[in-house]
Amino acid sequence: MAGKVKWVTDIEKSVLINNFEKRGWVQVTENEDWNFYWMSVQTIRNVFSVETGYRLSDDQIVNHFPNHYELTRKDLMVKNIKRYRKELEKEGSPLAEKDENGKYLYLDFVPVTYMLPADYNLFVEEFRKSPSSTWIMKPCGKAQGKGIFLINKLSQIKKWSRDSKTSSFVTQSTKEAYVISLYINNPLLIGGRKFDLRLYVLVSTYRPLRCYMYKLGFCRFCTVKYTPSTSELDNMFVHLTNVAIQKHGEDYNHIHGGKWTVSNLRLYLESTRGKEVTSKLFDEIHWIIVQSLKAVAVNASPSLTSSTANDRILKYNLINDTLNIAVPNGEIPDCKWNKSPPKEVLGNYEILYDEELAQGDGADRELRSRQGQSLGPKGGRSRDSGRTVLTTWK
Amino acid sequence: MLQEESDLSLVIAQIVQKLKGSTLYAQLERQAWGSWEKRILKSLNSMCTELSIPLARKRPVGEQKELLNKWNEMGTDEPDLSLFRPVYAPKDFLEVLINLRNPNYENGDSLSFRTHLGLIQVPLKVKDIPELKEFFVELGLTTGQLGIDDSTQVPPELFENEHVRIGQKVLAEQDSAAAQQYIRQGSPTALRAELWALILNISSQPEDILYYEQLKTNVIQHDLLVDSLIYKDVKLTASNDDYYFVFEDYLYQVLLCFSRDTSVLGHFAYNSASPPKSYIRGKLGLEEYAVFYPPNGVIPFHGFSMYVAPLCFLYHEPSKLYQIFREMYVRFFFRLHSISSHPSGIVSLCLLFETLLQTYLPQLFYHLREIGAQPLRISFKWMVRAFSGYLATDQLLLLWDRILGYNSLEILAVLAAAVFAFRAVNLMEVTSLAAAEAVLADLSTLKVMPLLQIFLFATVT
Repeated sequence: MAGKVKWVTDIEKSVLINNFEKRGWVQVTENEDWNFYWMSVQTIRNVFSVETGYRLSDDQIVNHFPNHYELTRKDLMVKNIKRYRKELEKEGSPLAEKDENGKYLYLDFVPVTYMLPADYNLFVEEFRKSPSSTWIMKPCGKAQGKGIFLINKLSQIKKWSRDSKTSSFVTQSTKEAYVISLYINNPLLIGGRKFDLRLYVLVSTYRPLRCYMYKLGFCRFCTVKYTPSTSELDNMFVHLTNVAIQKHGEDYNHIHGGKWTVSNLRLYLESTRGKEVTSKLFDEIHWIIVQSLKAVAVNASPSLTSSTANDRILKYNLINDTLNIAVPNGEIPDCKWNKSPPKEVLGNYEILYDEELAQGDGADRELRSRQGQSLGPKGGRSRDSGRTVLTTWK
Repeated sequence: MLQEESDLSLVIAQIVQKLKGSTLYAQLERQAWGSWEKRILKSLNSMCTELSIPLARKRPVGEQKELLNKWNEMGTDEPDLSLFRPVYAPKDFLEVLINLRNPNYENGDSLSFRTHLGLIQVPLKVKDIPELKEFFVELGLTTGQLGIDDSTQVPPELFENEHVRIGQKVLAEQDSAAAQQYIRQGSPTALRAELWALILNISSQPEDILYYEQLKTNVIQHDLLVDSLIYKDVKLTASNDDYYFVFEDYLYQVLLCFSRDTSVLGHFAYNSASPPKSYIRGKLGLEEYAVFYPPNGVIPFHGFSMYVAPLCFLYHEPSKLYQIFREMYVRFFFRLHSISSHPSGIVSLCLLFETLLQTYLPQLFYHLREIGAQPLRISFKWMVRAFSGYLATDQLLLLWDRILGYNSLEILAVLAAAVFAFRAVNLMEVTSLAAAEAVLADLSTLKVMPLLQIFLFATVT
């Protein structure tokens, strides 16, 4: 199997191309025989759409699962998690245990969320229970913080009411759908600012589930101090951490881009809050990721645009480590090959969850104690093993 | 009661130390420091006249209200600071140190000093490696260290767990001396904030919080010229730092209060410098009309805010953060920018660094000298800032653990030498100062404890 890996991409980014070239891989076009195709989201949609009936051959790998939108579209993500929880409950899995108030003990990681306009009435019922609460509206199909806004009065979302005659809102098109979630207005603040986490997770096989977390994730900070005051609901710079939004704020600093590494975060939290609390926090973050992956086969397109010099280096190394795991030894892919890669190859990834190991001995004890019994396969495709997937968790 | 006693014994110890240096050095210090002080004051005064800004003024009520509202986010203020310049930068200070001479120096005094080829020309006594090994004995190869023996490859049962347990015990017993001894092997991250407070004798009493609030009121009511300098410094340094930018607003809250804190004047009793004085208009030279300016007697220089920044990783309550910083300043940091013969003073540190290099890495030292890259020109800024902003935060905190543990800044000079030793191979190949700077530009990946350990205990001397 001496041939060089043949690659294609429709995303012109140096962090990708440099990585392919340094491995001596050969660039080809999509019409030729290729082994590795780093596809944009649009291409994935076309390749795997029901109409085209395109089938990958045994020596081909792509960078997304076919149904990637199951987790990246907000409405589908919520649906999947709700469905997953109900399934576990039906099976009598201990993971689905609830407390006396009906809250899930281990699977309560999505705030109360409704689909609009479909669940409008349900939402109104919930809203009326606590009328002083704030809710966040997010368009299902958009990213980078586009179209997000906060509300605290029903009048602000009148147009999503199904009965509304004045609605110019087209209810059919899923592109205009929104999710509305209870806004968490007491977020952890550092230096008085809100931040979110950008973590990179690589799923190399779905069945058995094998996923890796990149150790060098980062936090993105708001430039403006956080205030839950209602007068600032309109101020996106206070509430939204997306770089695309923050970049246009007056205080945006181009040298550091308002980011911290996750290890910085860990140091800060351990120093100010103690080790137990911090370890628990990170365990729970990992738990959420694994459970979300189990809920659905997912996929998304992380931003490969680099905003600072440090960022460029990070993404280059990220792709490098990803390719080392996905295409081991630079050999032409073979979908029958299904072993765990050796530790040396991981680079800055660490094993988040390896189902085979988890079911054997010496597994990650934390996850095993939560898991109790192993979860059976959910219906659907098994063709996905051997393909790589790059996922971000938002 | 205990607090006063330890303060008193500290002051006495410092006086004794100073006297040990003999009147020779005292004279030298006064002379050198005097002209440097004059230069600083001149710079400050001329900025005043050029920009027509008074050294101090009372804020109108409207402005006071505005500042109070913005107290937690002064970082968003964007006054025009383009006309302000830092009063001095470390390299200016280095030039002063280079030109220090002891007028009474006799050639016969120190044979070895005659062959000293570094920039510092003052024959102070510094430790050699055997003496350093004795002084830093707990950093030896057979003693467990945080920063080495807590890495992921080492099972925690071997050292880390027990070390944490002992730390918890020390804290439970509130034993300051034991804490100081303990921290020589490094502090666990979760215990560090408390351990440092214990060693520095900081406990947040109501009167401390009240004092901080009074300082804050002072800031609200009066505007000082140095405030703009502080502001500018934070914007130039901490705001652009990968780790510390988040804490920008805390830095203003600490430094603005710091400059008004007259209790800081107390440290001048054991500092050979004297605080810069300003005279009420028209009463120049009349002592009864002299005021210390700024009130705490400390004029910030370029990079000053970096002394505070790492502390924000440990303390997020402003008055506690303030207290810790103030204590760190009057115990340690002031020595890094004032001229004295103290072994932890910057002059001694520079000499220690150069001597270590010349004695134990002579080839490297001569090579760098040859190409016009005197090593001190590169390492000076690291030492003046106690490496803040140059090392990764977790490494910096491990280093500052040892400063507290050994109550000495000498470790800064040793680390600087160790860094040069570590990069020696690359440095031997450079042919210019700029190239040498480039090799040593990025210290963010260094692990300080292995470097120190290898340099002190594993290098053939």
